[in-house]
Amino acid sequence: MADKKLQIALYWGAGCGGCDVAVLDTNEFILDVAALADIRLWPIAVDGKYKDVEHMQDGELDLTLYNGAVRNSENEEIAKLLRQKSKIMVAFGSCAHMGGIPGLANLCKKEEIFKTAYLDNPSIESRNQVVPYPQTKVEVGELEIPTFYKRVYKLDAIVPVDYYVPGCPPAPHQIKTVLLAVVGGKLPPRGSVVGASDRAVCDECQRKKNEKKVSKFYRPWQIIQDFDTCLMEQGILCAGSATRGGCGVRCPNTGQGCRGCYGPMPNVKDQGAKLLSAVSSVIDSKDPKEIERILAGIPDFVSMAYRFGLPASMLQRSFQQ
Amino acid sequence: MKECKIGVYVCNCGTNIAKVVNVEEVVESLGKMDGVVVARSYKYMCSNPGQEMIVQDIKNLGLNRVVVAACSPRMHEPTFRKALENAGINPYFLEMANIREQCSWVHDDAIEATEKARVLTSAAVRRVKYHEPLEKRSVPMCPATLVLGGGVAGLAAALELGDAGQQVYLVERENRLGGNVGRVDLTAPYLDSARDLLTEFITRANQNPKITVMIQSKLVELGGYVGNFQARVEDAQGDIIELAVGSVVVCTGYKEFDASRIKSLAYGWLPNVITSFELEGMIRKGKILTKEGNVPQYVALIHCVGSRSLEYHPYCSRVCCMTALKYAHEIKSAIPKSYVSDVYIDMHAFGKGCEDFYRRSTEAKTMFLMYEKGHPPRIREAGPDDDCGMFIWVKEQLSGEEIEIPADLVVLMVGMEPREDSEAVAHLVNISRDKHGWFIESHPKLDPVATTTDGVFIAGACSSPKDIPDTVAQARAAAARILAKIAKGEIWADAVYAEVDEDLCSGCRVCNELCPYTAVEYDKVKKRSHVIYAMCKACGACVAACPSGAIKARHFTDQQIFAQIEGVLPWHSNHVS
Amino acid sequence: MAFEPRIVGFLCNWCSYTGADLAGTSRVKYPFNVRIIRVMCSARIDPTFILKALSDGADGVLVCGCHPGDCHYVEGNYKAMRRYALLKKTLRSLGVEEDRVRLEWVSASEGVRFGEVIADMTEKIRKLGPNRIKAELILDKAER
Repeated sequence: MADKKLQIALYWGAGCGGCDVAVLDTNEFILDVAALADIRLWPIAVDGKYKDVEHMQDGELDLTLYNGAVRNSENEEIAKLLRQKSKIMVAFGSCAHMGGIPGLANLCKKEEIFKTAYLDNPSIESRNQVVPYPQTKVEVGELEIPTFYKRVYKLDAIVPVDYYVPGCPPAPHQIKTVLLAVVGGKLPPRGSVVGASDRAVCDECQRKKNEKKVSKFYRPWQIIQDFDTCLMEQGILCAGSATRGGCGVRCPNTGQGCRGCYGPMPNVKDQGAKLLSAVSSVIDSKDPKEIERILAGIPDFVSMAYRFGLPASMLQRSFQQ
Repeated sequence: MKECKIGVYVCNCGTNIAKVVNVEEVVESLGKMDGVVVARSYKYMCSNPGQEMIVQDIKNLGLNRVVVAACSPRMHEPTFRKALENAGINPYFLEMANIREQCSWVHDDAIEATEKARVLTSAAVRRVKYHEPLEKRSVPMCPATLVLGGGVAGLAAALELGDAGQQVYLVERENRLGGNVGRVDLTAPYLDSARDLLTEFITRANQNPKITVMIQSKLVELGGYVGNFQARVEDAQGDIIELAVGSVVVCTGYKEFDASRIKSLAYGWLPNVITSFELEGMIRKGKILTKEGNVPQYVALIHCVGSRSLEYHPYCSRVCCMTALKYAHEIKSAIPKSYVSDVYIDMHAFGKGCEDFYRRSTEAKTMFLMYEKGHPPRIREAGPDDDCGMFIWVKEQLSGEEIEIPADLVVLMVGMEPREDSEAVAHLVNISRDKHGWFIESHPKLDPVATTTDGVFIAGACSSPKDIPDTVAQARAAAARILAKIAKGEIWADAVYAEVDEDLCSGCRVCNELCPYTAVEYDKVKKRSHVIYAMCKACGACVAACPSGAIKARHFTDQQIFAQIEGVLPWHSNHVS
Repeated sequence: MAFEPRIVGFLCNWCSYTGADLAGTSRVKYPFNVRIIRVMCSARIDPTFILKALSDGADGVLVCGCHPGDCHYVEGNYKAMRRYALLKKTLRSLGVEEDRVRLEWVSASEGVRFGEVIADMTEKIRKLGPNRIKAELILDKAER
């Protein structure tokens, strides 16, 4: 591969765009990327059209970094297209990996989302009655926009994925690791999570850990925390123990509980269930009423447990009628 | 993984299973499952020919997994594991489906019961594919024993062990050995001297070179596990002595009920209302006198003070009835002209020689008055013109009358209750207490001196009120259990226990607090937790709680249980509609 | 065909599984709808098991352990109780009906009660109808 530049694509699905910015956060390394690779598609930064990709040979791309979840028919179409054209498909960032923050929309119905975004939203003209429809008839014919699905999917629910780079967003050093691994041909077994630790965030967290007994949960702003002690022991919810490390303990080091963006540990099938186990294990009471009272201090546990991974969880979404 | 060759054996259990479950249909269906090499039925799978069938199939067909669909695994799992072992494969390659207790015995509908039996058995087939060969592991057994409490129980246990040539550390809080028995004069029903009995025990214990007696000492910490405990004992000088012991016998005894809690008995207010132990003190001094120094003419004994009462302790304290009869004898012989009344609820005379003792007492001119549980006696001071110091109001059951009897001295037969420090002791040695605070045995009938913590035994009145013979029997039984372990020289830990994969452990310590046996230990240097398998009892609390999925429950792994869940929920496409 | 609920029962070895065995030896009749999975202690029951059973098509999930204060492993059932409390909260947020997942204490001597629990739960779930989770997840795909 030394004589031939790497052919790469970066795509932004249902996500905030932070992953694209994270690529730029590699600073001067981005210049090396430009030297190492031809960027064939990167909607945010490079001029390139889907049509160009369609015209490629199958497998012509060495690597696609797909960030964002799959929320609509466009995301799905491009995922499938890029899969066909790429030797290596990487789910890049929490959204592609597990559904990410957009995946929390699986707690709501499509109709509710439209209502909030287009009808009841105070920043929208009050008489607005229009929500997106895939087809709209206008004078010159019919206009088409992508179909908004009733739920969010993680990337590998749509296409086979070779590697996962977790994080919201992935840390710049992971991006380097992945690109250099592809360049050097030193790839881990397919299906691997790349650039993350096999141990949980706690492994790298410098806070002192003791045995845990909690009789009240707090939001981080509700107490003055001790920066040397495990957050969970202070009653501040932290997903660190249920989350792969490798991020550099970004959140706990700033006084916030880990939010779980690196996803579940290797043997774990449902990150939220594991966090649930951990949280309930530290509750210091045997009285059902008292337990309820303590748990009332966690107003929205489901969003904590599945902040980044609802579409990747066992139930995948809410089944509220 | 080696290819799975599974044999499925469905038991008719005579007609117990076969009369409801269509066994042949189950066999036929299971025979078609992936990985199943052979499926058979038999009349009694647990019989010798049934087991032999499995053994032969393992040998001839090269089976490496076996599923037996029969009774509860709680019944015959050991039997079939043994069969696998006999055939030369690891016994943990067995899984049972319970199609008798959970199927043929509880369902009448043959079609549904057959379908359920099929599903349960197929789930077992799916599970057994993930079974792993497990080996039991052994740890050395330290032959020394720590005995907590130097009362009659502790002395008996220490002597049994010391006489067998094993090292004993006998730790007593007080400055003397003997415990509560040391406060007693004579013992019922044979009126032997408690002092004689104790002196012999104490002398032997002090003279035995294998018994280290430590008075005014207390256990402050116990670490480790069966065969390998490390005890820290604080001695009379306040020094900490480290002891390595393989077993612990808890003989911490009881304390007497505080009679001042029952206001109507006026204890602590009327000076001549005393407790049984205070009377023992008088008897030992040789003079039974009122506080004023007079010889009492009327003496009353009141039973069940604090015992058999919903308000205080609902249980019977077991020794007080006979002790009261003993007092009647002792008072009568010390003050022949006295009138003794015995106020009781029921006379519990269950022990050897006790009924006979009761009969003799009824002949000895003691007045017996029976009161009802709900109507306890009340004591009041007599007036200046009365010829007695007090009156006891009794609602007498046999006559049905409310009467008042005279008394110069009232003896309250105070019951037994757990010591104040029982909670702390339980915590130190990691055993449980019942709702009253007594230590709990491993099994109340079949394993009365063992506890749920391996290597920690209980004997005597620390587990419930007991008389001296029962206490001594328990102490010697605990010693015998320990001597058996010492004779083996090693402890075999069950192959089913939890295991931490240290490559996945992040040292978050969620698991540490959860283990009831402190088997999950945190290594402060490595910053990882690990399970001391000899202490683990395989409950799996840490496994479920581990947020990293780093702890594995051997023989109850996530994979095995997932396979079983999938197995009991076969998917039918008609569920989508 | 009438709807017959499928209930997965996770039972602790020492109390509830023994209680279910006692139901058998006492020939207590109860609905066939429960399928039992044995674990050593109710504290072993990972919430993942319950979610897996629900997503694999169980119409109900029953968790049984020893009565509070009576656990073979001292306090395993309290651990199960705490976990269950938070799980119920979570399931509520995910739109899983209240009656689908249930925690019951069944002792080794409560064979009759075990039968009653199964009968009651089967009846409640019969009224509730089938668990749609697995079907819904399959139907999701039809949209694409």
